[in-house]
Order: sequence, then structure tokens, then C-alpha cells
Amino acid sequence: MTPALHRREFIRYAALAGFAVGGTGLFAACGGSGSAGSSGGSSADGSKFGSVAVQLSWIKNIEFAGEFFALEKGYYKEAGFGSVDLVAGGAAGTGVEAGLDTGKIWIGMSAPQLTAPAVLNGLPAKIVGATYQKNPFCIVSSAAKPINTPQEMAGRKIGVQDSNQLVFGALLDANDIDPKSITVVPAQFDPSPLANGEVDGWVSYVTNEPITLASKGFTNHAMLFADFNLPLVAETFTVKQDTIDNERDKLKAFLIAEIKGWQDAVANPAESALLAAEVYGKDQHLDVAEQTEEAKAQIGLVVSADTKANGLFTMTQHLVDENISALKAAKLDIAAGDLFDLSIINEIYTERPDLKI
Amino acid sequence: MNASLRRIGRFLAPLAISMALLFALWYLFLAAFPQVGPRVGKSPTDVWSYLFGGPASHTARANLLENLQITLRDATIGFVAGIGAALIVSALFVLFSTLEQTLLPIAVLLRSVPLVAMTPIIVLVFGRGVAAAAVMAGIVVFFPALVMIMAGLREAPRQAQELVEAYGGNRWSALRMVAIPSALPSVFAAARISVPGALIGALIGEWLGSGEGLGSSLIKAIPRYQYNELWASVAVVTIVSILLYAVVGVLENLVLARFGPDAGRSS
Repeated sequence: MTPALHRREFIRYAALAGFAVGGTGLFAACGGSGSAGSSGGSSADGSKFGSVAVQLSWIKNIEFAGEFFALEKGYYKEAGFGSVDLVAGGAAGTGVEAGLDTGKIWIGMSAPQLTAPAVLNGLPAKIVGATYQKNPFCIVSSAAKPINTPQEMAGRKIGVQDSNQLVFGALLDANDIDPKSITVVPAQFDPSPLANGEVDGWVSYVTNEPITLASKGFTNHAMLFADFNLPLVAETFTVKQDTIDNERDKLKAFLIAEIKGWQDAVANPAESALLAAEVYGKDQHLDVAEQTEEAKAQIGLVVSADTKANGLFTMTQHLVDENISALKAAKLDIAAGDLFDLSIINEIYTERPDLKI
Repeated sequence: MNASLRRIGRFLAPLAISMALLFALWYLFLAAFPQVGPRVGKSPTDVWSYLFGGPASHTARANLLENLQITLRDATIGFVAGIGAALIVSALFVLFSTLEQTLLPIAVLLRSVPLVAMTPIIVLVFGRGVAAAAVMAGIVVFFPALVMIMAGLREAPRQAQELVEAYGGNRWSALRMVAIPSALPSVFAAARISVPGALIGALIGEWLGSGEGLGSSLIKAIPRYQYNELWASVAVVTIVSILLYAVVGVLENLVLARFGPDAGRSS
């Protein structure tokens, strides 16, 4: 006399099934199921290259002013794209490399210290250009208790975002600092734990949190990673090898639209700020005056003597070598040819010297 | 003795099937979403060879175990505190029904605030150590356990309670002699359901608060592109939670068997 499924047994199964489904849902959220429509080059919308999804490295703020201009002024459309979908990032689950690997996105704004481990783990992808020529990362601290050197972080609490764990670890490695001497505190987007004294330092872009904190009356000090053995570029365009091999024209068209967008962004910091605060990053409740300050500071990262001579997003051999040795210091041993392919961006400027500023 | 063995068998057999089903689901998920690809989506076989097959498996295992210990510590503190608090509060609620009428709606309201949204406040109050992670685990455990245990206490046979009263017992002795024993099935059911809850609470607390344990390490594995580590961590947490669920279930059946072969079975 085996009874039919007891009510409690049923609940037990339901609970287990729920756990299982919840588990797989987590994976899906971590970069699993992607929409095939936005990843490929389907030109169902009648445009030459169709629509593409672009993974941003952070929330939609001034850091993507060039992309906002390219959308606003129609540079992507002009280049043959039906629509370009900018996907906000910054959380661990929205990594560019996982997005590329799973076909969720076509191109992404990443960084050498994020692309290198993925390449070393077998992802056929490369960096084809760098928006930020200079490492924008810094440790921001209170002006009253400033952190001036990496050594001064010992024994203190530093807020580090999930997506920035690697670059922070690279800073420690590059300066021979024992990670155990520092208390790393998980951080999210909002730097208020620094303002309310919960942590002593906060990993941030020098163009972002130091300015927002100062405008809220929190005087602070920023220690640049670039000044301490970590000359890494940032906001790099990372694509799959397949894109370089089989969609070269599409990639060139996209980068040309990006160049035009970023030229506008560099020329008009105030308008960049308006686009970020009032159009594309409206839900972030950004402050126009703050964003204008950030846009001005950002120019110093995007434009250098080299980009003036060679064009935006280009990297000199010297800069590439510096990046490779900085990665090596962070235990990411990768050959320049496996991480960077700058032939596309160089080709663009050879064909269109008028695009240089 | 035989009866309790039979009970345990009846409890464990479907659980073993569920576990097997879980692995089947895992393979099925990867097959159903091939775009996840071989580097991001790892199969049980990949996880097995990551943990036991390769030259780096030893360090991988040691690392995972170290983090698992931290997570289990956080979850255990939360579990014990959550269940303990639920027991005390539900007894108080049943003893003093005005207390229940005032406070239960607040408890239900608190329950509907997403845990992630409460984290910054919890972290501010309890710091970023073990306490915060344990509090998170405790919160996940407390509310459902409270409701279940109260339902159990309330279902105590009226006649038996009246008998206690007729012999001069007060509300407290009625609770102790009648309501608590008759609520045991609910208490155990609450404990069983709370095992995965405590683990999830601890994981969230570690991710957003303390920055140690599996909750933190599995998130950090993503930017490092260590998907083997990520999947292995999730698999280990899932298996551990099923095992703990089974342990509580076996204890439950052992205890309830003392109250008769069908105690707690016809709820």
C-alpha cells in the first residue's frame, strides 16, 4: 500500500525543483542565453550591417560620451548599422569577454587585464583599439587621511568592485604588496562607504568618483595606478577573432563611427555631459555640472601626443609593450600578438587620414 | 527501529532521485543553450576533472574547501539564530495573541523587502565580518520558519489543551506539554526548508558584505574567466545544501518515529 504522492513530499519536490531552476537561472543571468538577433549581423532591418549589441564597461555615464554622440548624430547609421544597442555594464555578470563568448554582444569596451585572462583561457578574442590611452584607475581617499602610495594601503580597508578585482590585484602585484596586508571590501557603484568612513580607499576612475565626491563636499585625494607601475590602457574595443577575420569591413565601419563620436565628445565636453545626464544615462540621475567636469578630465585620458599624431584609439608599439609588461607583473603572461591587433585601426587611418584630429 | 528505517528510506529515496535529476537538468541546460559555449558553460564532467583530474586540482580543491568552510560557518550561525529566534517569537505570538496581531503584519512586510536592498543597511549596522553574513542568513531563515512554526503551534489539539487547563495548568504549561510536541513536524519542516535558505543568505551576505567565502569567490571568478571555478562552486554549494537537507530530514524522521509510525505524515 504505497500511498500516492503525499502533500509534503510534493512540497519537497517543488522546493528542490525550485532550487534547481533557481540555480540554472543564476547561470543564465551570468551570461548564458543570449538573444541571437542582436549579436550577429542580420540585416533584417534593411541596413548594410544590421544591428549590433555593444557591451559597455560601466553604467551609462560620461565614460561613453563618444558612443552617445555616435548614436545622437547618427554616425552608426551613416556607417551602415541599423541600430546599435549599448548594454550597461559594471557588474561581474556583464563582462565583455563572456558576452562575446556566448554571442550576446558583438563588440565591447573592456581592458587588457580583463581580456588577457579570457584569451589565456582559450577565448579567441583581441583588442583592436584603446579609447583611454592612460590608465584611468586610481585609489581615491579622504584628503584628511590620504593614501599617497600603494604601500600606504597596508592595514587599511579598500573598496573594490567585482569587475575591478583584477586591476586592483595587478596594482598590488606590480608594487610587490602582500594582498593579505590589505582588507578588501566588496564595493558596488555608489562610493558612499568612502564618504561615510566605512572604508579608507575606493577603486575608481580618476575622471569619476573623485569629481562626484568633491562636488558633494568630500575633499579627496586620488592616487593614479598609472603613476605606480601600471600603465594599462582602458576602454579598449574587444572583439572575437572571427570578427577580425570575417567581418573586417563591418568592424572598420563601426570604428569609424566611434572615431567621429569621440572627436565630437572631445570637442564638446558640455554637450557630452548633457547627452550622458539627460538622454542616455537619464536613469542614473547624473549631474550635468559634475559630468562636464568629468568630460573635461576625460580628454586627458583619450587624447595624447601619440593620438594627435596617429589618430584616436591607436596604440604605439611602446604603449603595447608597456601594457604587456604590466600584465606580466600581474601574472598574466601573454604575447602582444595574442592580445592586440591594431592593424584594423591603422588601416582606417591610412585609408582615411582626414579622420585624424 | 524498523519503522524509523522505513521512514528514512521513504525520505531519502526521492532525494537521491532529485539529485540525479539535477545532474540531468545541468546537462540538459547546456544542451538547450549551446550558445553558452564550452568556455563559459561547464558540464559536470568538466567540473569533475577540474576538481579531481588535473595537475592543479589539488589547489583548486583546497581553495574551494577553504571558502566552503567560511560559507558553512556563516550559514550555520544564521541558521541556528534564525530558527532559534523563530521558535521564541512564535511561542510568544501564540501565548500573547495581541502581540501577534500587532507584529506579524510588520514581519510579513519586512519579508517582502528584497534582501539585496537591505544589505547596505545591514552592513552598516553589523559591519563587514561574520555578523553581517550570518544576519543575512538569519533573515532568510527567520520569516518562513516563523510562519510555519506558528501554524504548527496553532494546530495543537484543543481537547488536550483544555485537559491541561482542567488540571490547573496555565497557558505556559499548555504550550510546553501540548503545543510544542504537536508542532514538532512543523519545526522540522521549517528547519529542512531553511537549509538552502540559510546558504543563499550567507552567499549574498558574503558577496555584498564580508567579501570572503564562496559567495565572494564565485563572483570574483567571473572577471578572471575562471568558469570552472564558478561552476564547481555552484555545484558544491548545491550538493552540500542537498546533503544538509537530507541530514535534517533523517533527524526529523528519527525523532518523529518516536511519536508513532505516521507522526507528522498526514499534515
